[in-house]
Amino acid sequence: MIEFDHVSLRLGNFSLRDVSFKIRQGDFYFILGPSGAGKTVLLEGIAGLHSPQSGRILLRGENVVGIPPEYRRVSLVYQDYSLFPHMTVAKNIAFGLKMQGVDRHTIEQKVEDLLAAFNIGTLRDRHPLTLSGGEQQRVAIARALAVDPDILLLDEPFSALDPLTKEKFIEDLREIHRTRDLTIVQVTHARDEAMRLATRVAVIIEGKLAAENDVERIFNAPETCEVARFVGIENVLEGRIVSSSDHVVRVETGAATIIAVSDLPEGEEVAACFRAEDVTLAPPSSARSSARNAFEGIITRFTPMGPLMRVSIDCGFPLVATVLRDTVKEMGLTPGSSVRASVKASIVHLTVR
Amino acid sequence: MRTTSRLPDPCIISFSLIGGLIIGLTVLALLNVAATQLSDIPFLIATATDSGVINAIAVTMGAGLNAVFILMIVGTPLAYVLARTDFRGKGVVEGLVDIPIMLPHTVAGILVYLLFMRRGLLGAPLYEMGISFEDAYPGIVVAMLFVSAPYYVNSVREGFEKVPVHLENVARTLGATRFQTFTRVVLPLSVRHIFNGSILAWGRAIGEFAAIIMIAYYPFVISTLIYYTFTTSGIKASSTVAFVMILACFAAFIILRLLTRYTGRYDDRV
Repeated sequence: MIEFDHVSLRLGNFSLRDVSFKIRQGDFYFILGPSGAGKTVLLEGIAGLHSPQSGRILLRGENVVGIPPEYRRVSLVYQDYSLFPHMTVAKNIAFGLKMQGVDRHTIEQKVEDLLAAFNIGTLRDRHPLTLSGGEQQRVAIARALAVDPDILLLDEPFSALDPLTKEKFIEDLREIHRTRDLTIVQVTHARDEAMRLATRVAVIIEGKLAAENDVERIFNAPETCEVARFVGIENVLEGRIVSSSDHVVRVETGAATIIAVSDLPEGEEVAACFRAEDVTLAPPSSARSSARNAFEGIITRFTPMGPLMRVSIDCGFPLVATVLRDTVKEMGLTPGSSVRASVKASIVHLTVR
Repeated sequence: MRTTSRLPDPCIISFSLIGGLIIGLTVLALLNVAATQLSDIPFLIATATDSGVINAIAVTMGAGLNAVFILMIVGTPLAYVLARTDFRGKGVVEGLVDIPIMLPHTVAGILVYLLFMRRGLLGAPLYEMGISFEDAYPGIVVAMLFVSAPYYVNSVREGFEKVPVHLENVARTLGATRFQTFTRVVLPLSVRHIFNGSILAWGRAIGEFAAIIMIAYYPFVISTLIYYTFTTSGIKASSTVAFVMILACFAAFIILRLLTRYTGRYDDRV
């Protein structure tokens, strides 16, 4: 449906460098990346608002470089919704149809349908600047869908919404994606949105495609250290495989030896990745558990995160665990306490460096 | 908190006092001329109804409007290009737009005269076609156009720059061509800047004297008439003509402001 073939695009401070990926018809495709990574430029490239300096962008198998946005059947919704402030809600929604020369009767019918579908009929004659963020968003999506696009591009659509509106809208989007034969490409720096909606994910870091895969693989088995860190894996330890037998390897990091399940050969430079929530804490003197990796360390810091507590531990190398707040209380953990942190070998993911 | 003084802080007060000097000067000058003129109402009425004075005011304001009208057609596209594109040599183009602001008006007058006189580069072929600029209404218009263009172009350009690019991008993806985007989105959101630019340019055009007399001493614009009256009949007669012009300008600007009070207001909140 959408294909980037070695695309390089420079625009002011933002640039994409040699980016290649394919988005299939019907994907809910997420482009993840830190702020300023070039994500919006990428979306605008799909829409035809910028031309790449080199490489090809293909839509429906056809090279569209040089074809202006109005012929691409791609709708774009920005973070700030970008409603036309001088037009009423109804006129905003009708804009695209009017530009495409649709007859007035059809336009009216379609606008009515969309107003009803998005539950914004009462806003019909209001001007955008008098609407709340959530209302503006619904108008923006209705306006984008009015022209029956093949592709819907969303630029950080949730970032300006309060948590309740955001929940509602995530459900709406899932519904829109399910009921319309639509390819959605969404750009964001928020990982939780991708985990909930995406079918496939690309990670863009500093203008380069750092990873591209199914959503489970991206979050659970990232291909590189930077992707691992970006998707929220807090423990990334670099080292080298010193022995390997029967799918079990020993990784020497200098400060610790980590056991992991992997088919990688001896001598490979790797990074051992595991999530903070996969680390279990126990008193230092406790009996051995089934977890193969156990590190003695001293707690350096607590950071509360809702019902959870993020515990930073110095085991000769920094390690992060998240446990329930109640656990911290029951175990009587304080900064300076000694603990034993353990991780199952089967949960440690190795990425090749 | 309720006891906090309602008075603005000392900095704002002192700035207001210092800044008030400018306003004071204008008010004093106006009161001064008004006091003299209003003491001889019959002479004022005679002057204000004099056909020479009425003609000069009409020519001045009409030619100014004419210049602004041409600027709207030619200057608006230029302002959009300057607002939305980056190209090599843009600085040079911007400099060329601004030149008339820096030039002494007499120099501007000579430039216009050399170009549009009967044997001038543009004046000669146009004279062949029957359009004469020397001592004629078109001469006044081109002189006004030349000196007022930068005011129009710069202020309209500022208005275009304030329209978020995202709005244009969205319009394009919804199927609008660049030109449709310009007419349906950019222009309506820039109405106030276009209006303000037109007022500035019109005011500048009305006030022009030196550049105009070089190419068109006749028909009299108001400045030429005042200078002529001053040299032939003295200060009393000329200051009465000046006072009539002040009243005419006041009336025109107040009417314009009232008429367009609500035009393009939505863009204040963009």
